Amino acid sequence: MIISVILIIALIYLLIGVLFVPFFYIKGIRHIDETVKGSSIGFYIIISPGVIVFWPVLLRKWRKALKEQAYE
Amino acid sequence: MSTAYSAVGWNRQKKIYDGWIAAFCITYLALFISLTLLFNSEATFETILIRSTSTLAVLLLHIILSIGPLTRLNKKFMPLLYNRRHLGVTMFSFAAVHGIFSIIQFHSLSNTNPFLSLFLSNTNYGSVPAFPFQTLGFIALIIFFLMAITSHDFWLHNLSPIVWKTLHMFVYAAYILVVMHVMLGVIQYEKNPAFVLILFTGSASLIILHLLAGQKERKIDKMKFKLKEDGFVYVCEADEIEDSRAKIFCIDQERIAVYRHENKLYAIHNVCKHQGGPLGEGKIVDGCITCPWHGYQYLPQNGQSPPPFKEKVSTYDVLVNNNKVWLNPTAYAEGTERKGASL
Ligand code: HEM
Ligand code: FES
Repeated sequence: MIISVILIIALIYLLIGVLFVPFFYIKGIRHIDETVKGSSIGFYIIISPGVIVFWPVLLRKWRKALKEQAYE
Repeated sequence: MSTAYSAVGWNRQKKIYDGWIAAFCITYLALFISLTLLFNSEATFETILIRSTSTLAVLLLHIILSIGPLTRLNKKFMPLLYNRRHLGVTMFSFAAVHGIFSIIQFHSLSNTNPFLSLFLSNTNYGSVPAFPFQTLGFIALIIFFLMAITSHDFWLHNLSPIVWKTLHMFVYAAYILVVMHVMLGVIQYEKNPAFVLILFTGSASLIILHLLAGQKERKIDKMKFKLKEDGFVYVCEADEIEDSRAKIFCIDQERIAVYRHENKLYAIHNVCKHQGGPLGEGKIVDGCITCPWHGYQYLPQNGQSPPPFKEKVSTYDVLVNNNKVWLNPTAYAEGTERKGASL
């Protein structure tokens, strides 16, 4: 029972991550890391599993970067 | 240290390195499969697949974990360190094949969800011989997975070095889980003592290597520098430092690398800006101090990465007098030009 609940929560968490990927690649990523400019498609593919798993970290960085830009 | 990220960033050396990894894995698998077919003709395809990939992963894990201490003990092992992360990802891939096929083999035949079955088909957590060892393997695999997917430099920059480093320290936890997975798993029903012996030898050598390397490091750190003059500390004789190489000195908790390059001595902070690699254990390539871990480069006279790169490390003053090397442990701002000491 507990295991089922954990599995379902993990699944939902990862699904949100999957949905997050396109938004992050189109808008977010260049706000948090300038180095991505001109990076190859292979780079985006290779980091995508990590984006799906660590999306809350990236989302937080993205929001922080936007706030800092608003100040400037 | 790149202007834009690439997927892998292969260069000639890394290609050679990866070629060796591939050759090693293929040879191992071929040997394992032919020996199994020869001595255990009843083994099914699935069993061979599960066992060959698992043992290869464990072998690679031992190699990965011994590279750090080995290079500390002897510079000859340095080439292994370069590109260690490809070894890690390779190890994870084989472990994943083992894990996934085990789940297919042992848990996908009933009508419960295979993941539920993995956790629920055996709940004898109080028993040693019947312990659900597969959950241990599963947790280890998750750790290896997290490490593999964050092995790109992008993650080092964006997960913050502390998070990244902590995550990668979990490799030791994962190693212990793997040892338990095997001890509580096959070793409980495999009568052949070879399994226990091999695993025991592996763990023992890893522990001894780490202890030896730790001791050596402590010795360097504890070295007392007695002679002091005007902030300068006597550290060694000039001819103790080989050309294009460095010696590392730990003064007031700071590790400083003193490099010899074109008959001059230069001192820079020992810690690489990339992942904290020991710069003093590298060498000078094309006029640049080259980090032994992944090849980031710094100019000896100012600690700056050659343009277009922007990394900078601190520099220090060195003096040579009567073949004696004196070092001032007060750091200049990162990237400050120092003219070095002529020999
Ligand atoms: C989802 C994760 C995993 C599952 C479900 C799993 C399952 C199993 C099973 C069922 C066995 C017994 C196989 C047999 O009797 O033939 C086994 C053995 C073994 N596992 Fe795992 N395992 C997992 C992860 C790992 C990982 C991450 C490693 C190491 C990197 C590993 C290393 C081994 C080794 C060395 C053996 C003994 C040799 C063998 O029989 O294959 N396993 N595992
Ligand atoms: S190049 Fe990676 S730590 Fe120095």
